[in-house]
Amino acid sequence: MTAIIRLLVFGFIALSVVYVLVSLYSRSVRREKLEKSWDTDPAREGAATADRDAYIKAGMTAYETGLRKKLIWLVYVLPAVTMGLIIYFVNWD
Amino acid sequence: MWRYIKWGFRITLLLFVVGFFHYTLPQHDIVRITNTYNKQTPIGANWLFYSSGDSGTDTTVTDTIRDIRFIDAVYPDGESVMVYRNEDTGWIWPPYFKYDSSTLQAEATNLRSDKAAPEWVSVTHYGWRLPIFSIFPNAVAVNPVAGPDVSITPWVNIVVLTLLAFGLFMLRRMWMQFRERAIDPVVASAGETWDSVDATADAARDKARGVFGRFMAWLGTWSGKGR
Repeated sequence: MTAIIRLLVFGFIALSVVYVLVSLYSRSVRREKLEKSWDTDPAREGAATADRDAYIKAGMTAYETGLRKKLIWLVYVLPAVTMGLIIYFVNWD
Repeated sequence: MWRYIKWGFRITLLLFVVGFFHYTLPQHDIVRITNTYNKQTPIGANWLFYSSGDSGTDTTVTDTIRDIRFIDAVYPDGESVMVYRNEDTGWIWPPYFKYDSSTLQAEATNLRSDKAAPEWVSVTHYGWRLPIFSIFPNAVAVNPVAGPDVSITPWVNIVVLTLLAFGLFMLRRMWMQFRERAIDPVVASAGETWDSVDATADAARDKARGVFGRFMAWLGTWSGKGR
């Protein structure tokens, strides 16, 4: 019994590290994409820096409430499902 | 010399990684089961190749002797044999989460057959048989198969190794992203600071050299020496 608790605790810690890394990465990629889409748009040539900042801020706010960010929770879900499948196929099938 | 050390280190690391996966990932043997039994097994320095002591149904008789289930089997060539242990794996490593050793032993016993009427089974297992250290592969599942020539696609290994490659690829992408966004700008601005320090130093040196020095430097530009 203690072994299962140990697995859950350490698994949760490890997956939390992965979750933090993936969300930092995802956010960084989104910000870079927003920056590039502004900088390469000919219509916005010479636009004010404040407008650019506002554009990026709006884009990041949309990201924070969007689906893509929620999908990062799969970092916890998929290993748990995998573990369930392994237990089923090894012991019950 | 240094080159040999470097390559020796790399090859050792590679062998270690390959060995690790070869030990841990499941493999299938097509065999005929000849016997199943329990044996009081002393475990000493080879403890790493047995289940951890607290992993479920193992009957630990003393600290060093454990009652372990074994499965004897013979390969289709009729000569080479294999001995599998049948232990629960516990909950941490390797992550098979196996706790049905008793059931597996019953299934294996049920699938026993003799030379006259062979019944071929696929034994899914991980681990190595190294007689010198008394270590045995751990059987995970037994399934009847049509004949001795059946080949089994190692789907689990394909999926695990693909996921691992994907994980390494993503880790690399994440590191590159981190470097591009967080480290490179800092290094670039440090470089600019350094350049400006350099320019100030050049100006100061020019000033210090005085008129004659500047004249000699100008002469120097004719000879292609530069300053």
